[in-house]
Amino acid sequence: MSHAWRPLFVIIAVVIIIFTARIIIVPSDFEATNGDYKYQWHRVSSEQDWKDFPVKHKGREFCEQCHDEMTATVKGSGHTNVQCESCHVQFNPDKKGHPIDLKEDFDYLLEIGIDRSRALCKRCHTKLVYRPIPKIYIKNRESYEDMKLVDPTEHNPGIECIECHDVHRTEFK
Amino acid sequence: MALTRRELLKKGLLSICGTLIPLSAFELLKPDAMASLIHPYSKKKRWAFTVDTTKCMGCGMCVKACKLENEIPFEAEVQRTWVERYVQTKKGEVIIDSPRGARYGFTKNDPQGKNIPEEEITKGFFVPKLCNHCEKPSCVQVCPVGATYKTEDGVVLVDRKWCIGCGYCINNCPYFARFFHPVHNVAEKCTWCYHRINKGMNTACADSCAFGVRKIGRLNDSESEVHKIITTKRVAVLKPEFGNEPHVFYIGLDHIVR
Repeated sequence: MSHAWRPLFVIIAVVIIIFTARIIIVPSDFEATNGDYKYQWHRVSSEQDWKDFPVKHKGREFCEQCHDEMTATVKGSGHTNVQCESCHVQFNPDKKGHPIDLKEDFDYLLEIGIDRSRALCKRCHTKLVYRPIPKIYIKNRESYEDMKLVDPTEHNPGIECIECHDVHRTEFK
Repeated sequence: MALTRRELLKKGLLSICGTLIPLSAFELLKPDAMASLIHPYSKKKRWAFTVDTTKCMGCGMCVKACKLENEIPFEAEVQRTWVERYVQTKKGEVIIDSPRGARYGFTKNDPQGKNIPEEEITKGFFVPKLCNHCEKPSCVQVCPVGATYKTEDGVVLVDRKWCIGCGYCINNCPYFARFFHPVHNVAEKCTWCYHRINKGMNTACADSCAFGVRKIGRLNDSESEVHKIITTKRVAVLKPEFGNEPHVFYIGLDHIVR
């Protein structure tokens, strides 16, 4: 056989190796949904991977199972639209933990705590010229009220907000 | 072949008419386009998101909830959603900032760390941002391995097992919505909480918003709030000139927003 033909066999062998490797490596459920290779060429089971991602924020309904009195109070207060998790799940808790192991018993994955810091209240209640002032209906007082915004540098600096304010009832202590 | 004068005129006129019809006229015959004429909002199940910037307080609870829900390390300087502050002064200067993605909220009048006197400010507002889940996502188009894709219901996702981390998609998103996940070392982006919306829940950011700024729903479901907002209110999208057909609709968008 002519030496000129030998490289051809090498090329054919390489092509066969590449295609076999491709069949082995590429997952079998790789497909272009709707024939759309531009935007929908993917591993279909990846969609399920994302659907199976654990839900962590379970909302007020979860807390309500035990703390129904407290959630009823919050629902009737000015904080009616604020989720429990906004203040009780946090990154810098001064009081961490929950009497019952929520992770073990309820599959609740977030870390519960109580954030009593002034910094947390300031996120919503600092007065800024460009911050809108929403009006909300407070059921317990049967009135529409403007949200209270303060200048934290003038409004009792150095004292924790919860010294005077009951955040669940949104009233003075 | 004998060609009569009548036939010549007939055939001549026909061919002239034929060449005059532009190719685009045939577009109407596409089944998709015809269907859209009958149903202005196609019956396809498609998720959409609305943001009411006029209500946003800049508390950043959405950013916090998103980070915790989707396991993005809290102190890492990357986030799937963030809130931007726009402040315009009397001199016409526009100051835009988003300190730490606003995960600790805006608690001071210090745009970009500058002290701007209140009387100098003509207007200011907060704009929450997230992935726009475009109909034509340019990030998906550039993926060399097919690791990012658009689902049937319009959500753009990343396959963490398949992504090689080349970063083309991160460069190609006109909204800067993508980043590298510091733990998984793959491209990461907002999934519109795909695990939650498929269980009938809200996204974590929409759930944590006390002011009703963020809403998610089916674009073509006449019962959904998102559908009502998009069909009845004045909404706009970010950077429409890129042609990505983004599906996050904003109420109260200003021309200084980028």
